[in-house]
Amino acid sequence: MRLLLLNHIENAVESLRSNRTRTGLTTLGVTIGIASITMILALSGGATKIVTNQVEELGGNIAVVRPGETKPPNQIENITSPQSNAYATSTLTERDVDTIRGVPNVQAVAPLMVVSGSVRSGDQSPAASTVVATTPDLQTIVNFPIRDGQFIDTTTNIDTAVVGSQLSVDLFGTDSSIGKTFQIRGKTFTVIGILKPLNKPINYNNVDFDHAAIINLESGKSFNQGIAQLQQIDVKATETDKLPGVISTMRQTFDKTHNGEADTTILSGEDLSRPTSQYFYAIAATMTAVAAISLFVGGIGIMNIMLVSVAERTREIGIRKALGASNGHITFQFLIESLAMSIGGGISGYILGYLFAFTLSRSLLTFDPLFSWEIAAVTLGVSAVVGTLFGLYPAIRASRKDPIEALRQYH
Amino acid sequence: MNNAVDPTTPVIALHGLTKRYGIGDAEHTVLDGVDLTIKKGEFIAIMGPSGCGKTTLLNILGLLDRSNGGDYKLNGKSVDSLSSAAHARIRSDQVGFVFQNFNLVPRLNVIENVALPLTYRGVRKTKRLQAASKMLATFHLSEREYYMPWQLSGGQTQRVAIARALVNDPSIVLADEPTGNLDSRSSHVIMEELSDIHKRGNTIIMVTHNPSLTTYASRVITMLDGRIDTDTKDPRAPINQIDTTKRRLDSHSEPTKTEEKAKKVSKKSTKTKSKSTRKGTKK
Ligand SMILES: Nc1ncnc2c1ncn2[C@@H]1O[C@H](COP(=O)(O)OP(=O)(O)OP(=O)(O)O)[C@@H](O)[C@H]1O
Ligand SMILES: [Mg+2]
Repeated sequence: MRLLLLNHIENAVESLRSNRTRTGLTTLGVTIGIASITMILALSGGATKIVTNQVEELGGNIAVVRPGETKPPNQIENITSPQSNAYATSTLTERDVDTIRGVPNVQAVAPLMVVSGSVRSGDQSPAASTVVATTPDLQTIVNFPIRDGQFIDTTTNIDTAVVGSQLSVDLFGTDSSIGKTFQIRGKTFTVIGILKPLNKPINYNNVDFDHAAIINLESGKSFNQGIAQLQQIDVKATETDKLPGVISTMRQTFDKTHNGEADTTILSGEDLSRPTSQYFYAIAATMTAVAAISLFVGGIGIMNIMLVSVAERTREIGIRKALGASNGHITFQFLIESLAMSIGGGISGYILGYLFAFTLSRSLLTFDPLFSWEIAAVTLGVSAVVGTLFGLYPAIRASRKDPIEALRQYH
Repeated sequence: MNNAVDPTTPVIALHGLTKRYGIGDAEHTVLDGVDLTIKKGEFIAIMGPSGCGKTTLLNILGLLDRSNGGDYKLNGKSVDSLSSAAHARIRSDQVGFVFQNFNLVPRLNVIENVALPLTYRGVRKTKRLQAASKMLATFHLSEREYYMPWQLSGGQTQRVAIARALVNDPSIVLADEPTGNLDSRSSHVIMEELSDIHKRGNTIIMVTHNPSLTTYASRVITMLDGRIDTDTKDPRAPINQIDTTKRRLDSHSEPTKTEEKAKKVSKKSTKTKSKSTRKGTKK
């Protein structure tokens, strides 16, 4: 068949241009849908990129163990749904930490236990603070820049803490707070070190260390009847190319020590970089819903307008058929028109999505949205699918018209 | 043309072709058993009173409409056996249609309208527009190329419609009153163009109410109530021009002055039908 792509495109543009308002309003649904998708992808991509950079900075030899079932990586569910076991008891214990220590080629292991409860000094009780109980090994893995004092270690008194720069300011009004004391769940701790501002609220530890107090695991356990409730175990291999071996050994050992129950997840590299914060999930889930609904509504709008357009141009269809157009030509002519609308909506949505993403990242977030050809390809693909899906029925209806019946139509 | 057909096979062969509209009591027969054989290279003029089924016949010949009964063989093949895609192909490659009511696409300007049939033959845009422009020039419409259809006079619209029908060099031209809106000089310009196409060996079937134009034709057919009444090719049905004209007068509006004048000429020409007569009428 002679497809006449260029001719159809010209024709479609001409016809859409002669109905500017109608075209604009029709594409709005697709625009909003694509804008939401662009925003989700750009922001999640941006967040992922920060963590990737952090992991790469560390040499790419970090793996983390998290409680909960292994989810297949790379699924949209991973981005959009909160972790299902967010409120369940952790399946990771101190025993697992010891097990990992025994794995060959492991340089350092650090458990992370997030302690619930407020941090208080006098009448100051900053809301955004986190208390993390861990071992001195965390410093080997993360390599925090210390502004003043030292990191927690095994020799100092267990009721000591290292505080993030912002927490120090929030609690004491200054970032030089060595020797000052504060309360965690009523228990008094002494500050022995202050971290430099990190400005990395998103990282693979899921802790904003600028707002965190780091205490010894033993102190942490004392808040929880002596039991360690681990959110995560960080593992550092001696070398990057030893990491896969370390991971597979860990998997095998966990299989044994957890009685064959797949209740832990080991992440490294790419998987580790995927954003996990609840905050992010909430935005992504809302945006996905907005995208799905508006794409559907937008698609129906396109279908509706295309049906009107086919009815309006019945006579033209008859003339074209009389002059030699086949059913295929007519189908294609109208399909191109609906595609032009959906792709036009897609392009404006893409631009709008980045505008929103930048506004959001400048005002609320600490990272830039990601630019990549994949995002452009996905948005283009989605809008093309919408245009085809909802444009096909009107186009086929147009092509099925009997030439003589169509020619008899009066306007 | 593109498909090698045995020169003895008629281009068009109709057998007992019927067309009915409506159902039950409202049913009426528009074409009532039309038998007609047209050979390649014939120039046929169809005459007959308004409402006798001329347009309906042309629509069926041009594969725009389907008959209810009878047989239509195009180039020896029954058209009912062909798919709609094949019909489209035939319309695109072989047929040029001039509609009684012109049927220009209102959204497209004159030159785009004329170039439209070439689009479906896969001709590139610049070539298309060149061909259309050349065609428009033959009909003295070069200055109207970028006019929209609603900016044209009736006669100009008609000439554009003819230019469009002829632009893809069709082997069968179906023209439904191509000169209906034109003065005699413009009519002759168009008839000259049709003769030219005819001389190149193509088949032309033209409906007209103007007897003077039948001088260009090689065969004149008159229709009456959905049937072929007279046919200059058929020896059993000798032409009876006065009779048909009379019937037309009975049932329809009065003929115009030009028609009256032309009647005499046509009578003479249908009898002799020689080239010299045709030249005589032209001057
Ligand atoms: N779609 C239709 N439904 C019902 N009747 C129709 C339809 N189309 C045409 N007719 C009838 O068929 C008859 C023949 O119509 P047609 O257009 O073929 O006439 P015609 O010979 O071309 O006349 P004219 O010289 O006025 O153009 C008319 O009586 C008309 O009313
Ligand atoms: Mg007619």
